[in-house]
Amino acid sequence: MKKIAYLAVLSCFTTFVAVAADDNKGAAADTVVTKSAKRWSPYEAVQKPQVPVVGQKGWVRTPVDAFILSQLEAKGLKPSPETDRATFIRRATLDAWGLLPTPEEVKAFVNDKSPDAYEKVVDRLLASHHFGERQARRWLDLARYADSTGFQNDNTRANNWRYRDYVINAFNQDKPFDRFIKEQVAGDELWPDSQEAKVATGYLAGYPDNQNSRDLVQRKYQITTDITDNIGETFLASTAGCARCHNHKSDKFSQKEYFQLQAFLANTSFDSRIPLAKGSESAWDKKFVEQRNKYQEVTKEIREAQRKVLEPYREDGIKYQKERYLTDSRDSIFKTEKDWNALDRWVNHRHKMVVAETGDGVAQYLRLAAESKERPDHTPDKVAAWKEYDRLQKELRKYDDQRPTGGSLYYTAATELGHSDAAPTFVRFGGIHERPTEEVQPAIPALFGGDKVEIKPTATSSGRRTALAGWIASPNNPLTARVYANRVWSQYFDKGIIATPADFGRAGEKPTHPELLDYLASTFVERGWSVKKLHREILLSSVYRQSSAERSDVVKADPQNKLLAVYPRKRLEAEEIRDALLYASGQLNDVVGGPSVFPPVAKASTLGAADFDGNRAWTVSKDKNDWNRRSVYIFSRRSFSYPLLQNFDPANPSQAHHKRDVTTTPLQALTLFNSDIVINWSQALAGRVINEAGKDESAQISRLYQILFSREPNKEEKAALKDFLAKGEAAVQQKVADGKFEVAVPIGIKDQRAINPVRAAAFVDLVHTVANSNDFAYRF
Amino acid sequence: MSINRRDFLIRTGLGFGRAAAAAGFIPGVGFIGSALASELADPLAPKAPHFPGKVKSVIWLHQNGAPSTLDLYDYKPELAKLAGKEVPASFLKGIKTSTQGGVGKLYVSNQRSWNQYGESGAWFSNLLPNLAQHADKLAFIKSSVTVGATHDISILKLNTGDVNPGRPSLGAWINYALGSANRDLPSYVVLYNGDREPQAGSVNWSSGFLPAVYQGTPFRPGDSPILYLERPELRSAAQQRGSLDLLKTLNNLGAAHRPEDTELRARLQSYELADRMQSAAPEAVDLSGESEATKKLYGIDDKTSESYGQVLLRARRLVERGVRFVQVVSGHPENISDQERRSWDAHNDLDGNHGVQARMVDKPIAGLLADLKARGLLDTTLVVWASEFGRTSWGESGSGRDHNPWGYTQWIAGGGVNAGTTYGATDDIGLQVADKDKAVDTYDLHATVLNLLGLDHLKTTFLNNGRSERPTVVYGKVIKELLA
Repeated sequence: MKKIAYLAVLSCFTTFVAVAADDNKGAAADTVVTKSAKRWSPYEAVQKPQVPVVGQKGWVRTPVDAFILSQLEAKGLKPSPETDRATFIRRATLDAWGLLPTPEEVKAFVNDKSPDAYEKVVDRLLASHHFGERQARRWLDLARYADSTGFQNDNTRANNWRYRDYVINAFNQDKPFDRFIKEQVAGDELWPDSQEAKVATGYLAGYPDNQNSRDLVQRKYQITTDITDNIGETFLASTAGCARCHNHKSDKFSQKEYFQLQAFLANTSFDSRIPLAKGSESAWDKKFVEQRNKYQEVTKEIREAQRKVLEPYREDGIKYQKERYLTDSRDSIFKTEKDWNALDRWVNHRHKMVVAETGDGVAQYLRLAAESKERPDHTPDKVAAWKEYDRLQKELRKYDDQRPTGGSLYYTAATELGHSDAAPTFVRFGGIHERPTEEVQPAIPALFGGDKVEIKPTATSSGRRTALAGWIASPNNPLTARVYANRVWSQYFDKGIIATPADFGRAGEKPTHPELLDYLASTFVERGWSVKKLHREILLSSVYRQSSAERSDVVKADPQNKLLAVYPRKRLEAEEIRDALLYASGQLNDVVGGPSVFPPVAKASTLGAADFDGNRAWTVSKDKNDWNRRSVYIFSRRSFSYPLLQNFDPANPSQAHHKRDVTTTPLQALTLFNSDIVINWSQALAGRVINEAGKDESAQISRLYQILFSREPNKEEKAALKDFLAKGEAAVQQKVADGKFEVAVPIGIKDQRAINPVRAAAFVDLVHTVANSNDFAYRF
Repeated sequence: MSINRRDFLIRTGLGFGRAAAAAGFIPGVGFIGSALASELADPLAPKAPHFPGKVKSVIWLHQNGAPSTLDLYDYKPELAKLAGKEVPASFLKGIKTSTQGGVGKLYVSNQRSWNQYGESGAWFSNLLPNLAQHADKLAFIKSSVTVGATHDISILKLNTGDVNPGRPSLGAWINYALGSANRDLPSYVVLYNGDREPQAGSVNWSSGFLPAVYQGTPFRPGDSPILYLERPELRSAAQQRGSLDLLKTLNNLGAAHRPEDTELRARLQSYELADRMQSAAPEAVDLSGESEATKKLYGIDDKTSESYGQVLLRARRLVERGVRFVQVVSGHPENISDQERRSWDAHNDLDGNHGVQARMVDKPIAGLLADLKARGLLDTTLVVWASEFGRTSWGESGSGRDHNPWGYTQWIAGGGVNAGTTYGATDDIGLQVADKDKAVDTYDLHATVLNLLGLDHLKTTFLNNGRSERPTVVYGKVIKELLA
């Protein structure tokens, strides 16, 4: 282990040093650090800044614009002209909802002569449930949300969707952000009687988990590590996790302080089987109970017979199962309850949960003893019992399609198991679990102000998370409001004011507009931590209204567009691509919330034998309406990324995901071009266009462009598309002449007689191609 | 203090003119930390290594389920003598074990026999008669160690260096650092035999915090290896060509207004690449042009080794075509329904299990080495035999072995490898590494593999959320003794 100590020194910053050296000699043509920015620190209290005086006063719609404009003017740049209204509404609808505006919405806005036309659009966007769905997706990225545990068995977390719905509702209700934080970090301690607040702690409970782990003491450390690091990154934009193995290389953050932060979570356990409060069951849960009762009824005898077969081996089986844990886990598991300390309590509760979720292991034991002739406990009665059990199991399988799906009887929440004393937290040398050193108490790191937080234990919990949550959600916390305002800004302008949304530390980027960030943060708090008001101000600013047209003067003067003289165009995110196309096709099933759904993954014939279809990991939803839900409702299994989204840089649910990458690959092209799902949507969209535009092809092409791009096709585009239809018709005709009559024709056409199927198939190809174009995949 | 990659390039004159300068319009490619300028517009462009590499490609043979290398390579006469006895306490020092009341008795199969092979005199058991013929091509690491007692976390560590998901796999790092040598194929491919994707799933070929473009692409069995590769039946070739032409026209019309926008043009290009991949990928995995002799060499004529042989022959064809990293996860022969025989995980009946698994891989791996050699590819390819851990010296359920992360054997072969040697050793019963200073952890193996590709593991970095990350986390050393 010698090497670890030595190498840790080399770890974090080989590049940092090289880069810093370069920085010194740099001809900083494009740095925008202003005088005041040099003094600015994210750890100093937020001061509401003076709004700068600018020349082009007419451009300033909100103070946000003044901050942007003042730096542009200093650089001798003019902001870009306002983009046209159609481009604006497509941009805003995609940004706020992740969906396209309808041609009617575009038209209404373009023709709206009233002075508050923009306000009306923005308020309509913010009031829709689509807003919460889209914002929740980005929050779930941070919360490393998934519907499964991860690791090899990747078991389903059957009620985790309640946390997802909690987040959607929180954004839709404009839940004050400080309350949102407190509920997620300490809802169980602060509001023990509120199911909603407890469900919110699903944020903490979202850690990837290995339910098969044989080392529960180490698992506790790993879970605590995951949560601590996530809190550091998500709320504080701090790479605190860096300091787990060694003192932080770039920030003043010691290893000891890192473990002091972990200590706030030392007494946190999780219960994934808390019965739903009476009356709080959703329609899905009620349906679940109904299905479950039926299933239990029809399988009652089989299961009872199985129980009887196992009964004589129960004691040995459970002992075997418990003995498979490693040394120190066993110490806790075999200890009598009255002697439990806080760590024993944690381990035993964890063990209980694993057994509840994955079974007590008696059947596995019976099988092992029956099949391994060499085992001393191998006996003829076990062979016979196993044979009988296995037969019953096969019998039971016949009812698999009657198993309940979707809902659940339970919800998941953090709990301190009714005790206020916490297991001790130690500094771990090199971050290695087996090498505890000094014991530490919970404390706020000095870098974050080192505030003294008062921890008040309650009768049933340590009070530690309450203290932590109160400190994070305090209006005086220098980081919380800045960090979130920066995230919201980065959703609209591609980059944050600090371009590293997960790191406000010294290794992160410097803010391009520190005063703007402080303005946003301070008004965010002033306005009661209203997330919608924060979005509203940005959406209504002049800087957001600018055109994204390329400008050679900006390319020269500010090549990275840090000053935002041009609006940054952006590729749609994975879910936006799917949802927008699904919505345009007219097939979106716009239901909010509920258990996660399983749309079909490629057909077995094209997926080869290696197929999740038919496997427990991906049981395709029986109700076809579920296939057309928004992407946020698609089951997120950690070991299997939904293929249609997978190549478009979706969030990786292993860790907090702060920024959606944009990569451009041939696999993306293959997905959009060849997927039967996209072709099916193109057929539906073609049908919708024909229904709405009638027989005239020019009108059809116009309608298609209105739906997908919120604009009319230009002359060249129209010519190219018409030419394609003529040639395409010939190509389809040729195919039919070759004896292949199966062609993709529009779906859902009201007046079938009105169309020529060959020409219509060519039109489907046209729609499909247009949906593949850059104009669809980007918002400008 | 900090500066991002783009500034760095522009200031050092590495930027490639105005197109790169306009990269301000290119979101999502900031902070790339190790390679050259072209990545800004094109993340898979070939990049120069830190120093001339010995090999161009890696075939990573993950022996899934963890073979007992005590029954394959690590001959322990002392263990044979002590078989049937309790494990002497001195051997157990410093390790945490499961099973209350002590571990099982030391175990040796009565079906095992051992011989030395080649000039190096390396030991092989009777389970690997074909591979043994290539003894002098291999460099053994008999002091491998890792972390974990369960497959999933140790497999994750084997591939990504961490026991929790989230880090990039070794293949993703290599893909990121070197780029693609053949744009018509994915440059990081995952192969497996058996009827479904390896159970631990995509986290083992994930790009982690690197951009998704660097993740591994699993190739499915059959003639259409990539999902969505094939043109749907509903669409003829002529229709497809027509659509691609239209797409190009439309995208060009849009791009004309944005002359500096390299990302939009890259997207246009990606459809042409996809079009080429549609024919290149099935061709790359099509074995019909291979001679009967070659197929025989890979054991494709034998039911037990057929599927693994096909997979390894595919691996050779991919390496031939410039694929950087081929990660092969061993599965099981077709029509094996017995769960106990579907991986190397022999908790009981080790002879039965390893009988199948060893026979499955023996000829194919021997064939791969011979074939690479014959084609002059062994000099530019690295073949790695790796597993998540080994198995214990004591028996489990009488005739099996439990998991052993404390000392086991892996090997490497190919360009730049000090072939015909052995590095490190286990103790007399093959349980723990004998000399702890010679222990080779996953990080050390990764550092050594990177070195053979011309990459310094300390300089292969990516700035993720403010942390400069590298493939070997905060550990790792190149094992010089393994290099020629």
